[in-house]
Amino acid sequence: MAQYTQLGLQDAASPLMEELLHFHDHALMIITLISAFVLYIILTMVTAKTTDKYILDSQEVEIIWTVLPAIILVLIALPSLRILYLLDEINDPHLTIKAMGHQWYWSYEYTDYEDLGFDSYMVPTQDLTPGQFRLLEADHRMVIPVESPIRVLVSAEDVLHSWAVPSLGVKMDAVPGRLNQVAFVASRPGVFFGQCSEICGANHSFMPIVVEAVPLEHFENWSSLMLEDA
Amino acid sequence: MSGNDEENQSKGFKILGILDVQKTPCAREAFLYGAGGSAAAGLLHFLATSRVKRSFDVGFAGFIVTTLGSWFYCRFNNAKLRIQQRLIQEGIKNKVVYEGTVLDPTKKPNAETPSGPT
Repeated sequence: MAQYTQLGLQDAASPLMEELLHFHDHALMIITLISAFVLYIILTMVTAKTTDKYILDSQEVEIIWTVLPAIILVLIALPSLRILYLLDEINDPHLTIKAMGHQWYWSYEYTDYEDLGFDSYMVPTQDLTPGQFRLLEADHRMVIPVESPIRVLVSAEDVLHSWAVPSLGVKMDAVPGRLNQVAFVASRPGVFFGQCSEICGANHSFMPIVVEAVPLEHFENWSSLMLEDA
Repeated sequence: MSGNDEENQSKGFKILGILDVQKTPCAREAFLYGAGGSAAAGLLHFLATSRVKRSFDVGFAGFIVTTLGSWFYCRFNNAKLRIQQRLIQEGIKNKVVYEGTVLDPTKKPNAETPSGPT
């Protein structure tokens, strides 16, 4: 989850998010150097004693400030496009889960093998136990096996919602009457939090998403328990 | 608890308020090398030409070139290490899964012994 006053991205929990993090660092370094360069130019111009009122053109500097930005843009675009196409790859998922957005909760359906479905409501602030996170905890988590490709089919029952988990690098709009597909792999066990990312009414801020990645054996035990409770 | 973790972690230092050099891999080394390269380039140019302003410009250019060079070199090596790490992880997983089977990558193929009359 995000810490207080956090500006940067959360730690990656999937290979895609790792790639996004690295690209973000790469782009940010380029931006920082360009900003430092602009700052230096401003300081130089402000402290210069002479002014030339008769400069009409300068072929050399115009070539430089056309070619150099083009090179910089190519250096940014190539890894960006690579990640863009990586995001669209769906590599034989082991499990398909349907995430349905409602006002104002999520429901998850695991229908690959058995008919398992449950709702996931936010835990109200007054019901939190010590150590739990305000506005992020849910009564039922979406449990997935770790290191397995997962496909999530996202849709909505009423208005637009959006299923987002930043640390997994996943965000997909939940549109009523439409099935959107997103795939990811949780590369480490843990609990990953997200929040609805499309304005959907009064309690839009109070329908969190909690994904718990566990070893396969624990996932099988959990699904058996959930089926018994159902 | 989260409060103690925040005290234990050192606060990140952000260059120009945007790039956290302590938490971004390779950033700290890149900027340190850049600073060194900048100082060296500027100083050498000044010693050679005695032109102050131009030496500052050369120093700044040296900073950009050294920072970018160190950054890309470090990121490239990190990327190679990450790929090697993934290959090793896959190899260990495959070894565990396929051990003792036909697909075992460590199993040496036995030479076929011709059958004949004893």
